[in-house]
Formats: sequence, C-alpha cells, structure tokens
Amino acid sequence: MIAAALGLSIAVAAVATTVVAVAGAATGRLLARRAFRGREIVDALLTLPLVLPPTVTGYGLLVLLGRHGWLGGPLRAATGLTIPFTFGACAIAAAVMAFPLMHRAARVAFDDTDARYAIAAASLGASPSRTLLAVEIPLARRGLAAGIALAFARALGEFGATLMLAGNIPGRTQTLPLAVYEAAMLGESRAALLLCLLLTGVSVVVLLLVGRLGRPR
Amino acid sequence: MTALSARVALSRGFALDAEIRAEPGITVLFGPSGAGKTTFLHAILGATRPARGRVAVGERVVFDAEAAIDLPIHERRIGIVFQEGLLFPHLDARQNVMFGARDGDRARTADLWLERVGAAGLARRKPRDLSGGERQRVAFARALAAEPQALLLDEPFASLDHASRGALCGLLLDLRRDSPIPFVHVTHDPAEALRLGDAMVLLKDGRVSASGLPSALLAPGGEASAGGSTNWLRGTVVEDGPDGARVDLGGTVVAVPALGRAPGSPVVLSLPAEEPVLAMSEVRGTSARNVIPGTVVSIDGGDGAVDVVVATPVAIRVRITRGAARELALAVGSRVWLLVKASAFRRSG
Repeated sequence: MIAAALGLSIAVAAVATTVVAVAGAATGRLLARRAFRGREIVDALLTLPLVLPPTVTGYGLLVLLGRHGWLGGPLRAATGLTIPFTFGACAIAAAVMAFPLMHRAARVAFDDTDARYAIAAASLGASPSRTLLAVEIPLARRGLAAGIALAFARALGEFGATLMLAGNIPGRTQTLPLAVYEAAMLGESRAALLLCLLLTGVSVVVLLLVGRLGRPR
Repeated sequence: MTALSARVALSRGFALDAEIRAEPGITVLFGPSGAGKTTFLHAILGATRPARGRVAVGERVVFDAEAAIDLPIHERRIGIVFQEGLLFPHLDARQNVMFGARDGDRARTADLWLERVGAAGLARRKPRDLSGGERQRVAFARALAAEPQALLLDEPFASLDHASRGALCGLLLDLRRDSPIPFVHVTHDPAEALRLGDAMVLLKDGRVSASGLPSALLAPGGEASAGGSTNWLRGTVVEDGPDGARVDLGGTVVAVPALGRAPGSPVVLSLPAEEPVLAMSEVRGTSARNVIPGTVVSIDGGDGAVDVVVATPVAIRVRITRGAARELALAVGSRVWLLVKASAFRRSG
C-alpha cells in the first residue's frame, strides 16, 4: 500500500508541478508586466484555491469536471472520457491546489526584475521568445525555482480536493495523504506514522531548498 | 548618412509632444528632470507607444501612427545604453557583448568591441565585479556590437564619479568618430552637453523649447542657461605647461591652471559668475592672470544681485551686487575689463 501510494503521489506531483510551473510562470509574468483594469481581481481569483477550504475547491472541480459537470458532461458526450476517480483527476486536483503558490512566486520574481532588462535585450535584436528564455527567466530563476519547489510540496500533500474529485481508490487514486488518512482510520498506527515521517521528510527537504533559493544573490 | 527623425506625442500619464532630428554625430537632449527625456527615448525605442507621430531611421519608418506601422523593439535596430548600464547580471562581460553581436563569429566580435572600449581585460568578469565606469564601457560595447542604426544614451554617466565621467566622455567621442550613426545623448549636465554635443535639443515640460549649438544655447542669455550662475565655456587648448595653460574660447584667450592636455584638444571650463571683478578701466598690477576687455551687452537685475553679460567677444556672465552696479553706472554698451584669476576657471570636461 505504501509503495503504491508513494509512487502515485510522486507521479501526480510531478505531472501537476510540470503543468503548474509553466502556467503559473505565465500568469505571474503577465500580471507583473502588464497593467490592466481588474488586474488585482484576476490575481485574487487565481489565488483563491490557496485560501478556500480544499473540499470547496474539490467540489467546484466536481461541478465543473464531473460526469454531468459543465465541462465534464460535454467531454463525456464527445469522447466518452470521464475525469473523476482517475489519475488525471488526482493530477488536476493537485495542480489546481498548487497553482496559486507558483503564480504568486512567479509574480514576485518577475516584479523584482527590472523590466528594462527585457527592453535592453530587445534593443539588441532579441526576439520576445529569446528575451524570455535568455534574459527574463534566468533573472527570475531563483523565485521561479522556489515557486516550483513549493508547488511540488503542495501537490505532494494534497488531500481534500483530491478526495472530492478522485476519491480514495487504493492503487488507483489513493495518494500518500489519503493513505495516511485511511491507515489512521483503520487503526494501523505504524503505517500511518511511517507515512507521516515520509511526507515530513520530503517536505523538509523541499523547504530547505526553497530557503536556499530564496536567499538574496 | 542616416539621420534619426522622431515626432512623438502621447498623453498617457505624461504629456509629451516633441520632435527631434538627429544627424550622425551626437545630439544632446537636454533638460531638467521630469522634462520627458526618458519618455521620449522610450517612444523612439518602441518601449512606449505614442498616440501620434512618426519615427524613422534614414528612410526606414519604424513607427507611423497614421500608417499603422509599429515595429517591435527588436526589429527597430535602435540601441540604448541606460544610466545603470543594465548589463545582464547572469552573463559575463563577453557574453553580454556577444548577446546582440550580429556577425558569424560572435565571440571574436565581442572581443574586438571590448578592446575598442578599453575593457579587453574584463571579458570574463560578471557585472557585479565591475566598477560603474567599467560597466558603462561594456554597455557601450554591447550596444554597438549589435550594429544599431541609431544609439540612444539615457544619462549614461549620471551615476559615475568625476574622473570616470571624463574618461567615458572621451571614449564616447572616439566611438562617435568611428560610427556614422546618430547618437542621442540625454543629460542635464551643461559641461557634458558642451563637451559632447554636435547639436543640442532643449526639452522642457514635454516640449522642445529650443535647439541649436550647445555653445549657443548654454551661453549667457541662451535658452539653456536659464538663470544659472555658472559660465560654461568650450575652448581649445593653445598651450599647456606646469605653470598653467592657455585656452582659446573662440576669440577670447584665457589663462587657466595646468590642464594636462595636448595643444589643440577640446576642453570645457566652468567659471562662476561671482568670480570675475568688473573694472571700468584697464587695471594692471594685480595678481589676476586675466584682464579681459569687453562690452556690456545686457544688464539683468535680480534679487540683491545684478547679472551683467560682457562680450569679450565670448559672452561671460558676471554677477555683482546692486550697489556695485549703481556706483559703476553700468549701461549697455559700456566698455569694461574683467579681472579673473586663472584658478577661477575649472576644468569640467
């Protein structure tokens, strides 16, 4: 049980973090660089999963992506695919919950780099994509890396939203936190303790990494 | 011959309505802080979109509001050097210069440019390990290695100490001599404007208030002198030695402290208007090294002091007290002599 849950958790966190790293960096940069009406409202909406109870976020996802959901219904009608109770559901729940951390870290990272570096790069003939890859991302790399580490830790520890959208199917959607819950409920205290130590260890490593990346250059 | 012409109007946040035509050489964009100089540069560069106007480098139109032409920054081929240099901190000096180099062998191009700006030994250093002056040298190399068709300089020397500023001015003049492109140099330092400028445009409250030769605009009564109490004088070294130098200001030759400059080299001197003593007759036998005859061309009374401009023929502003002006019975056209100690002249560039 432990090995399956650990493997699933790492796979879910890896997929979720990959998606969130790109999406959060994009939204963070957009909000840091472009001033537009309602910018802070957009920021608040993107940050919402950070402050809502995870079960609320999870229920929202179910309404959206469930078999008869606003998006899930049409998806099933068109392709026959359903999202709930799948690996994809775990990954989506983890990604949605981890997203605000990456988004905020990226916004701060891009806010902290002088926008004129990008202007200087462009004036030297660099295309927008080259400016992004060769100048903007390297300059923001510490903040972005810290965001990725935090997002990974969050995705690894996701519980509430995952339970709502993906259920708790051992070997299929039972991630490490869900396994801890089940072990504790069934009175398997040794297993629960072992799982807790495992998660704590991984989280401490991630936080140390974040602290290292967050230090000023 | 490629000239940069820009007519730009915008009102978002800041009202700017200005026009400039910069020929190859250095055009100084001069004005107080908040006059809109940086906004103007950003509009030319493409970092700010003007509401109206047109920007062209030679025949190449890079922005035209009416024709809906708005090339992005990276297609304009207009370079910029910022006050802080803004070298990419994660790249060393050579990699910074290579970034925009257009030739096939970019490393070689970068090394040539680093050598050209006197920074050959700094190729492997990161920006944080360079002094302010060294950073600006590398920033010049980086901008020019990209072969821009015009180069904008946004107060590139403003955060440098006096010595590096002088050295960098010399470098910029060398670079201008070898690069047949227009340089637009933003500054609010009169000495820098005089030393560098082939032409000068005065920007005030977002509008061009005057343009012409720096020496004319900065002369007493010129549009850029605006009540200043310092005479900014551009001249040529006639001779220089341990006991002092002689500088031709353009018809008026003055004795100044030793400069350490070869005869024939340009120099900018400053002379506070309070320094010269005004005499109604040719006074001899004083310690003043300069006794300069001239004619009063204007008298301007202010609070407690009177500014007298004397054509020697070079115009020199002299500030005297109201009482002194009254006793001397000064009038426009009066024949006067200026007694000026050599040490009253300071080298400013």
